Amino acid sequence: MLEANALSKSYNGTTALHPLDLRIEPGEIFCLLGANGAGKTTTINLFLNFIPPSSGTAKIGGLDVVQQPLESKRLLAYIPEQVMLYKNLTGIENLEYFTSLAGGRHSKAELMGFLEEAGLARTEADKRVGAYSKGMRQKVGIAIAIAKKARALLLDEPTSGLDPKASNEFSELLKKLSGSGAAILMATHDLFRAKETGTRVGIMKHGHLVARYSTSELGHADLERIYLEHMHD
Amino acid sequence: MVLRIAQKEITEMIRDGRFRAAGAIIFTLLAGALLLGWQHYREVSAQHSAAQRATREQWLGQGKKNPHSAAHYGIYAFKPKVPLTMVDRGTDPYTGVAVWLEAHKQNEFKYRPAQDATAVQRFGELTGATVLQLLVPLLIVLLAFNAFSGERELGTLRQLLSFGVSQQDLERGKALGVAAALGLLLVPAALIGVVALTAGSGQTDMIAAIPRMVWMTLGYLLYFGAFVGVSLAVSAWASSSRSSLIILLGFWMFNGLIAPRAASDIAKAVRPAPSAFQFARGIEKAMQGDGHDSASERTKRLEQGLLKKYNVDKIEALPINFMGARLQDSEDHGNEVFDQAYSRLWAVFDAQDGVHRLLSAAAPSLAVRSASMAFAGADFPQHAHFAKAAEEYRRSIQRVMNDDLMRNASNTGVYLAGGELWNKVQPFEYTAPDAGWVLSRQAPSLTILALWCAAAAMAAMWTARRVRVYLT
Amino acid sequence: MIRTLMRYDWRNLSADRAPLAVAVVLGVAIAYGAFNGSEWIRFQNRAISEALAEEGERFDRIRNEIPKIESGEKTVSPFADPRQPQSFGRNMGTRYAVMPPAPLGALAIGQSDLYPYYFRVSTNSRETFLNNDEVENPVHLLTGRFDLAFVLLYLYPLVILAFSYNLVSSEKESGTLALTLSQPVSLRRLVMAKVLLRAAFVAALAVLLSAAGVIIGGTNLAAEGAWSRLLVWAAVTAMYGAFWFALAIAVNALGRGSATNAMTLAGAWLLFVIVIPSVLNVAIKALYPVPSRVELIQAIRVAGDESTRQGSKLLARYLEDHPELAPPSKGPGGPPDFGTLLVAVNEATERKVQPVLAEFDAQLANQQSMVDRLRYLSPAIVAQSAFNDLAGSSAHRYKHFLAGVDEYHRQWRGFFVPRILRKEKLNASDLARLPAFTFREEPTADVTGRAGVAFVGLLVAVVLAGIPAVMALRRYPVAG
Repeated sequence: MLEANALSKSYNGTTALHPLDLRIEPGEIFCLLGANGAGKTTTINLFLNFIPPSSGTAKIGGLDVVQQPLESKRLLAYIPEQVMLYKNLTGIENLEYFTSLAGGRHSKAELMGFLEEAGLARTEADKRVGAYSKGMRQKVGIAIAIAKKARALLLDEPTSGLDPKASNEFSELLKKLSGSGAAILMATHDLFRAKETGTRVGIMKHGHLVARYSTSELGHADLERIYLEHMHD
Repeated sequence: MVLRIAQKEITEMIRDGRFRAAGAIIFTLLAGALLLGWQHYREVSAQHSAAQRATREQWLGQGKKNPHSAAHYGIYAFKPKVPLTMVDRGTDPYTGVAVWLEAHKQNEFKYRPAQDATAVQRFGELTGATVLQLLVPLLIVLLAFNAFSGERELGTLRQLLSFGVSQQDLERGKALGVAAALGLLLVPAALIGVVALTAGSGQTDMIAAIPRMVWMTLGYLLYFGAFVGVSLAVSAWASSSRSSLIILLGFWMFNGLIAPRAASDIAKAVRPAPSAFQFARGIEKAMQGDGHDSASERTKRLEQGLLKKYNVDKIEALPINFMGARLQDSEDHGNEVFDQAYSRLWAVFDAQDGVHRLLSAAAPSLAVRSASMAFAGADFPQHAHFAKAAEEYRRSIQRVMNDDLMRNASNTGVYLAGGELWNKVQPFEYTAPDAGWVLSRQAPSLTILALWCAAAAMAAMWTARRVRVYLT
Repeated sequence: MIRTLMRYDWRNLSADRAPLAVAVVLGVAIAYGAFNGSEWIRFQNRAISEALAEEGERFDRIRNEIPKIESGEKTVSPFADPRQPQSFGRNMGTRYAVMPPAPLGALAIGQSDLYPYYFRVSTNSRETFLNNDEVENPVHLLTGRFDLAFVLLYLYPLVILAFSYNLVSSEKESGTLALTLSQPVSLRRLVMAKVLLRAAFVAALAVLLSAAGVIIGGTNLAAEGAWSRLLVWAAVTAMYGAFWFALAIAVNALGRGSATNAMTLAGAWLLFVIVIPSVLNVAIKALYPVPSRVELIQAIRVAGDESTRQGSKLLARYLEDHPELAPPSKGPGGPPDFGTLLVAVNEATERKVQPVLAEFDAQLANQQSMVDRLRYLSPAIVAQSAFNDLAGSSAHRYKHFLAGVDEYHRQWRGFFVPRILRKEKLNASDLARLPAFTFREEPTADVTGRAGVAFVGLLVAVVLAGIPAVMALRRYPVAG
């Protein structure tokens, strides 16, 4: 569903991402680990076509994101570290807006359903987003993905700064989405979550994807050790 | 401490390309405007003094004619340019350049230079005054809008205050920094101005210009001070740099664009001036005929008075020329009428200027504009001063001519006078009012500017003391 | 899609109360501007009607007087005798040539406060009656008026910029841009929607309020060409607004922050509305300096002196050129009278001064044509020239009026000079045969044509700002 073929990016001579080959199938949750500046966000921005690749292609559902930017976006949902919403609109209005941009038409009841599915309390949905906590905003982000029936999710450190309970809820939601056939690419620093939620993990360093593992092969302790080993040299 | 802060401010400003560029543009415009003003002054003042000499020669060389014909031929008075108009042309483009001094009539000045220009002129003229009143305050706003809000947003404000720097010191240092940056720009420009002034004008003009220049400079410094104070106060008070910038741009716009126009309209609504038609018609009605009309009652009264005085029974027997007496009588009457009409009109203009001054409590730009053009010698009161002098001169010519008629012309034959009489009329010498005269009129403007400056400084200190380190 | 984007953008905007505040400010400014303009029109109309009333009274008096003088019931000195053609034509019977305010005059005061709008035409040379300046505190002339054109030229761009300086940058700063663009929406479409919404809001405001201003201003819409002028006015207003929107998009497309955008756009406003016009003004005056009026005064005086000295010689030459005007009997007659001489002296003086005046006209024409060429440097100048033209407060209409006045001056002299030379007294029936001045409005097509050129100029400016803006948007750095 998500596919990178020799995808690379460099800015004026510095390479942010060395040619990357990656396939993420429906139902998979691929967690990108690595230090700040390792190229995780660059990878996600390339999939989003927010930055043009220097070489190679990024495809979503077989659609080249550069050639077919709008079509490819119909398939995906994006949840950044901070889901920034229009603070003067309520949660449900934000959801309605973004889903309607994706071409969806939903009744209020359906929209409320999506928010509830994402774990947002009914009473909160009609409040203005300005008063939302970070976790609540992430839930709206998930609701957008649900409403859109996104086949691919791009998540950029979505759980950093969330309290453990909110973080746990978020992981559960991701598992549910992945269970319904979404392919998920998540950049994260949270090794524990990566092991818990992810089906696969990849470790990035200086723009290279230096290692990839299936989480079922690894224990918690293993992952941390491997990660630190990679970071050392 | 304050100096150290100011030093850091200046270093930052100088390293910021945007301010370098803005400074360079403003300096170029200012220097260019001053040089153009200098050239304009030299040209126009040369023309005017040449014309004033020429009109005098024409007067002297008019040959033999009746003194009243000479009075009708008249002479022109050309308004001289004063040196500081190279900085501020004031209302000069909108007042006429010359007035014809002839018998019977106080004429209006004619040929407003603005009439000989395209509509582009109405966007404003590029003069030193435009740059100083409009562009320099904008630069101040850009230099100071984020003085506090920017440091807060960067988080450096917390650090500074944690080092035990007092807010007031910070405020003083910032004010000093902005002032120093402005100094870097304005001192060289002022030097150019002084050099141009010295090169462009004679010694007497130059000496007369010095106190005017000092007062004008004071006015501008107070104005800039007000802008620095307001900018720092808003920067400390506003919730973000963005809102600080927007508020300050609004303040600038209000000062530069809205206030002058609104003040004009309010002044006109409070004290409307008559139309040119009403004004002329009023004079015409008051005059009720002129010196050529022997049927008028005034003439009869004069005739009877004179016959009685010299104890004769007919005009021909009078020891003086009756025509001359009648003309002077008519002049005297006309003078009263003109004095009344013009003093009423000028009182209206004066009252309108008073409204502007009152409103400058809301916008310092009004006060600095008024002070600047006054000390430059290009405001309406100084135009009126010249107009009065020219009118006095006209009246003196009429008196000399009519006296000669009375004394020398016979009541029967033809009388012609010559060069000797024309020479009795002294050449027209005009001395512009000195700085004290202007100061007595501009004291309110300068006071308002001083109040603005003081209030802005206090506001800046006050808000600085209460500056919020964190926004919640 | 665009409609969805616009609808939600509106919700965001309106939550700020900013549009309401701006609508109120702009509305007040426009209403005030229109009111001011209409006051000026009322002022002019009052002065005109007072002048015409004065003329009417004067003629009534003369009409009464002539039979009395003819019958010997009343005696007057030759100077005060209305039957004397030189007295009548020079002073007593002079008539007003009036240029009434144009249909849309209340919208832009323009140059109309600098130019006279009525003259009392006499047989004297035109320079004697052409200085009929309106009485006004010169500070007010210097400041300029708060009219609708001022609001549209200066404040309307600021309103547009206030609405659009952070068109994209604010969404980027608040983080919503990434989320929006992760939907199947292109940045260009998003910007388009935002601009359309703001443009619709601002333009609707400007057009509706201008229309309200036209009504407040008491504009006579039944006047010929009023509607087409109004239409072009609205088109120019819209295109001028479009330029500022295009500029705001271009600056946003550079991808800087809102604060930088605000400063850049404020700088652009300053450049186009203040700096370029004032520099252009200086450049024009330096390149095509108008000769000094001081020297003109001297030239007229020298020519006049010379002509006076040669008085009788000139008269003889004049009569040789115009034998038909020679007095009927060339008998003894005596020396020519004052009136007769004056005709010849004036004619000679004017002939001598003509080249100097022509130089003024030529330099002013040069200045104007330079403005016409270089005004495209600033859309504000282009819009100003169009507004002045459409409101009839431009130099064009004044020149048109002056041409009419010159023609009328010729007719007036044509009526009186033969009578002066033939020493023919006027009678009551002559009063009805006096030439009368009627102002013919410039053809609407000429006016709208000139404004149309300005419109096209603005259109080009929009395209010039818009194309790079759209190109740059394609490379807009959404991330990083």
